[in-house]
Amino acid sequence: MRPRHLRSAWAIALLALLPVAAAFAAALLPPHEAFALSARALDPQTLEARFKVADGYYLYRDKLKFNLDGAAPVTISAELPAGKVKHDEFFGDVETYRGLVVIRLPLATAQASHKLTLMTESQGCADVGVCYPPQRQVLTLDIPAAAAGPSEVVVAPIGRPAWLK
Amino acid sequence: MEVGADLVLVSTWRRWLPRLVLMAAIAIAGVLSGKFVGNRIAESNPAPVSGAAVYGVSLPDLAGTPQSLGQWQGKVLVVNFWATWCAPCREEMPELVRAQAKYGAKGLQIVGIGIDDAAKMRQFTQSIHLNYPALDGGFGALELSKAFGNSAMALPFTVIIDREGAIALQKLGPVSPEQLESIATQLL
Repeated sequence: MRPRHLRSAWAIALLALLPVAAAFAAALLPPHEAFALSARALDPQTLEARFKVADGYYLYRDKLKFNLDGAAPVTISAELPAGKVKHDEFFGDVETYRGLVVIRLPLATAQASHKLTLMTESQGCADVGVCYPPQRQVLTLDIPAAAAGPSEVVVAPIGRPAWLK
Repeated sequence: MEVGADLVLVSTWRRWLPRLVLMAAIAIAGVLSGKFVGNRIAESNPAPVSGAAVYGVSLPDLAGTPQSLGQWQGKVLVVNFWATWCAPCREEMPELVRAQAKYGAKGLQIVGIGIDDAAKMRQFTQSIHLNYPALDGGFGALELSKAFGNSAMALPFTVIIDREGAIALQKLGPVSPEQLESIATQLL
């Protein structure tokens, strides 16, 4: 008799846990892990950003923005690879990224300073049916001398992202 | 399974209620006394002291008129945090429209708090013939949703408050039609 009681106790315990797990989507990654960002300078006039999109998550191509911080932030015309087209009833066709996304960021002028601050904006969702608000991340990159080769990869700091207003 | 799961969830919340009430009150008090004063969330009363903290929240509707959530006290209040940039939110909302049409007369009140640009929200809510109020929460409403249990600060997030002001369900991700039915049947 006892094992059966134990079994039902376990069954009840497990049943009780199911809705809790479902309701809170406990496995949901924080956005900086779902869309891990790193960047480096390839040369004084070219940066490269990488998003490692975790399985089960995707980023919107048209929500990606890159700026150089300064007295007046400069918009970078990013070379965004083609994404997977997804039809959206409200926004029409939108492109999404999964897996590794490598984005070249050509700068209008070669950087004279040794460091620059790259500001990124991104927005994505999880397949389980939730979306994150737009994320803003800031990275400080070393700029290599003209013939020195790419700089070291800088990983976006983990922290509470700033919500865009 | 869905219905049973909801029953378990509701009873779990009843047990946790005193703690949640306190947490929500503290969180809301902090939110209201901090950055939201004079900003998007206007508070006419001192910090709420009960789990019905939501009744102290006031936000402009899409026409810009302030709306206090307190006007729906005594109803089963379904507060749905959403945005147009959130496809799962937009997919869920027609279900909420159906639930409002079906249960509105019995005391169900759905309220959408949008974390978005008002013009986009107007366009979308008109396109689906929204039959419940849509309020303009701004990005600050994410903090508000966090105070109600949305620790991931992702969308959609729904909190259901019963007639007595107790939290009956907190749900990250779309609420299924079965869940809505089950909640309506239990609480109305």
